[in-house]
Amino acid sequence: MSVEAAAPPQARVTPPSLLQIAATFAAISSTAFGGGQKASIRQQVVKQGWMDRDEFMDGLALAQVLPGPNILNLAIYCGQKTRGVPGAVAAFLGASVPPFLIILIAGALYTKYASNPWVHGALRGASVGALGLTIGNAFELSWDERDDWIKIVLLALTAVVVGLYKMPLLLVLVIFGGVGIVHEFLKSKRAGKQAAP
Amino acid sequence: MSNLLHLLWTFSVLSVLGFGGGKGIIPEMHREVVESYQWVTNAQFTQFYTIGKLVPGPTTIFAALIGYMASPGAPLLGALVATVGMFVPSSAIMVGADVMWERFKTSPWRLIVSRGIGPAIVGLVWASVYTVSKGVSFPAAWPIEAQNWTNLVPYVTTAFVAVAMMRTKLSAPILILIAGALGTLFMRQ
Repeated sequence: MSVEAAAPPQARVTPPSLLQIAATFAAISSTAFGGGQKASIRQQVVKQGWMDRDEFMDGLALAQVLPGPNILNLAIYCGQKTRGVPGAVAAFLGASVPPFLIILIAGALYTKYASNPWVHGALRGASVGALGLTIGNAFELSWDERDDWIKIVLLALTAVVVGLYKMPLLLVLVIFGGVGIVHEFLKSKRAGKQAAP
Repeated sequence: MSNLLHLLWTFSVLSVLGFGGGKGIIPEMHREVVESYQWVTNAQFTQFYTIGKLVPGPTTIFAALIGYMASPGAPLLGALVATVGMFVPSSAIMVGADVMWERFKTSPWRLIVSRGIGPAIVGLVWASVYTVSKGVSFPAAWPIEAQNWTNLVPYVTTAFVAVAMMRTKLSAPILILIAGALGTLFMRQ
């Protein structure tokens, strides 16, 4: 961090080559897990002078708003900012090919060994673990919404209509996403009024 | 051939609707690939989701495993088609959005939209808990008896992982490996 702060604001070096972009994201996508990835991308991209911190943070915000895995979207943004659409393609391939190959190996092992009783037990245990992770994730995300009871009601309703009544995803996003957006809009308007003198 | 087109279409739709990093698409994916097309079973769906969380990269890469099973004649092609469907549409949107972004960046709507859609995504994650649980067979835990105390292990493991995920710095793959080890020891039958 201190290195970044000490660097002059115009520390941008020559943009990376397509191969460099692909290699950078291949290295990150095949070694970093979950939350660590955003930090590693930031380190690579900002430290190597591909873009400045503000540009990176813009990209992170965009990657989170749009559909798709945040990490993949962020990689594409970084590729595109430095080398245009070819850069975006290089970043996409770098970020998606290694996980694809790794999961293919996992799939081959799965079809070969899933019926072995020891592997079967391990898979059952691991599945229970993934269930626990999903529960933990759901609790954490809900906790972030706790200060607004309308949002809690919205998320509970969504969970019920999807879980029990299998409401299609598009409809869920239009109805519950729509109500959420209207609610957020009215809230920001009210906040604006209060802030006015 | 038609199976491959169905795969491509199914995952492309999920890709475009994958707001919130794709966290919310699990129930819809289950509805399509387990209930409608029956490409995989409940147990396989949950196990593939688990493998997706275990390996590096986005969790939704487990679409490849569903494609692998859905296309028995050409499993690798099925895996590729499903992955292309899962990742390419959202990525194309990302590339296209770059131009509009310059205007959208400073607009108050950016925060309103991403915060407003939040509760729906969280609700979808809760629904995913239910979806994922369908692929886990919990043994009857009651009444508790000395000779079948191992029946409690799945319940305890679930609770342990959920709490450890929130309260410790252990990463998702490590927790899945711990749970897998407990499974090898106590959940073989």
